[in-house]
Amino acid sequence: MALKLMKGCEAISEAAIQAGCRYFFGYPITPQNDVPEYMSRRLPEVGGCFLQAESELAAINMVYGAGGAGARAMTSSSSPGISLKQEGISTIAAAEIPAVIVNMMRGGPGLGNIQASQGDYFQAVKGGGHGDYHAVVYAPSSIQETCDMMQRAFDTADTYRTPVIILADGLIGQMMEPVELKENPNPTMPDKPWAATGYDPKGTKPRAVLNSLYIETEDLNTLIDRLHARYEVIKQKEVLVECYNTEGAEIVLCAYGTVARVCKAAVNELNEKGIKVGLVRPITLWPFPTEAVHDAVAQDSVKGVLTVEMSDGQLLEDIRLAVNGVKPVEFMGKAGSIMPTTEGIIERIMKMREA
Amino acid sequence: MKDYWVLMGSFGSGKSELAINMALQARKSGPCTLVDLDVINAYFRSSERAADLEAAGVELISPPFAMDKIEILALSPRVYSVFTPGDGTVIFDIGGDDIGTVALGQYKPNFANIPPERLHVLFIVNPLRPMAANVPSALAVLGNLQIAGRMEVTGIVNNGNLAGMTDFSHLVMGYDLVKGLSEQTGIPVWGTVGTQNVLDEFRKYAQEHDLDDAYIGRYQPIEVMMHRSWDKYLSEGL
Repeated sequence: MALKLMKGCEAISEAAIQAGCRYFFGYPITPQNDVPEYMSRRLPEVGGCFLQAESELAAINMVYGAGGAGARAMTSSSSPGISLKQEGISTIAAAEIPAVIVNMMRGGPGLGNIQASQGDYFQAVKGGGHGDYHAVVYAPSSIQETCDMMQRAFDTADTYRTPVIILADGLIGQMMEPVELKENPNPTMPDKPWAATGYDPKGTKPRAVLNSLYIETEDLNTLIDRLHARYEVIKQKEVLVECYNTEGAEIVLCAYGTVARVCKAAVNELNEKGIKVGLVRPITLWPFPTEAVHDAVAQDSVKGVLTVEMSDGQLLEDIRLAVNGVKPVEFMGKAGSIMPTTEGIIERIMKMREA
Repeated sequence: MKDYWVLMGSFGSGKSELAINMALQARKSGPCTLVDLDVINAYFRSSERAADLEAAGVELISPPFAMDKIEILALSPRVYSVFTPGDGTVIFDIGGDDIGTVALGQYKPNFANIPPERLHVLFIVNPLRPMAANVPSALAVLGNLQIAGRMEVTGIVNNGNLAGMTDFSHLVMGYDLVKGLSEQTGIPVWGTVGTQNVLDEFRKYAQEHDLDDAYIGRYQPIEVMMHRSWDKYLSEGL
């Protein structure tokens, strides 16, 4: 299919539709408003339903309902709105319902600002809502990658009956890039015998019950054990990571999302000068590519690791866990939506080499 | 007597890019005011290039707090100042789609006093963008824009492009679109927009394939101010 010039928010919406998403529930917030805007026009054309909910909480619970009935449903928001959805995400995880949640991160905490940020890393990766659960978290770094990821996001959600978060940022949502969208007029979806689609007393199918309340301690423990076992499979099978020019590197950069693009520009510039620098870019933030990070930095050639992020040292913690002390890890990042520059990263790398 | 240019189109059709270029070009021959009437976009708007515009001597009127990390659906009272008598060029850069164009409608009584030969209302299309990529959908957008903005479009602009990957073939696609639109509506094609080298290639193609000049209009060269390369974007900030 031919290239189109699309805004990230439009592209992610169209890609979701091509992946079989027919239900969107959301509430406006900058900088993701172009998602509901696009969905409100496009979903009726494909027989789907767009609904602007009365609140974020209502929207995420509508996703619970549609997903519980077996449909591919999604919601999108931006940081403060995603905070409001956390109760629903925890409930969706407990009720084992597939759902896709897009977060076009903006500056926080609180209302923060409306520029791009990566400040919701902890929220997405470490829980956000209460209880022992995880959401699979994808972190795209270009609009094309965001599009390609949507099919995988819905498939993963269905396969593991889990919430999946697309953790992008305002820049991915608002920038325009040429993109190729795969057209998929008849998306296939797995059979969902567990879905609550109506009970037939004369039929053989048992009553479908979707629930997150387990009063008996043993019952709740059984659920957590089941989720835990599933998370172990996800950790084995679903890790995605890009290792860029890391072999034989002297300094390894670690970054995700749009910041990783800036890092890549720095890597390219330094590689051209013969300076061996590489980049590890986690594409799934949970499950985290612990092994890939460790292997990249454990090489004899590596003098140090530099984590770069548009937040105040969140990815840094997972990088340190993965590096596990075998090499020094430095941090470079700013909150308040201040994007690191290629020049700034290069300057820092040069200092690390001199040290 | 001032010349007024109003640029409207769907989201991402290239209004701001053309508006900034036209402003910088117009400033070379007289005073020029650019009115950023975009109350839709938080980033990627003509106010983002305030420093470039001011350095060139273009007066920029932005919504209050634009590019100040918050958004308020309000317009500057300074907008009314452009309707006072004088000389020069006034360019209105309107927010995307009918939603953004609503902001324009309130100035209808002011525009009503401008002689028709001084008022140019352009509809900008890019066939590589979704939502207005073919004649029927672009016609629907055009209809909605005219209702929302309470103004009639006087010229159609071919802005076929794929950002940094643009070549003349995108203007050829745009030619087919503006030709179809013009034939259906009777609105003339005002011009074809592109960087100089893309325009040159398109001109060559147009001559070889006997494209009708009526659907090309003027060749309007621009320099890329908004859709910049990733690195330039980063080094110069949001």
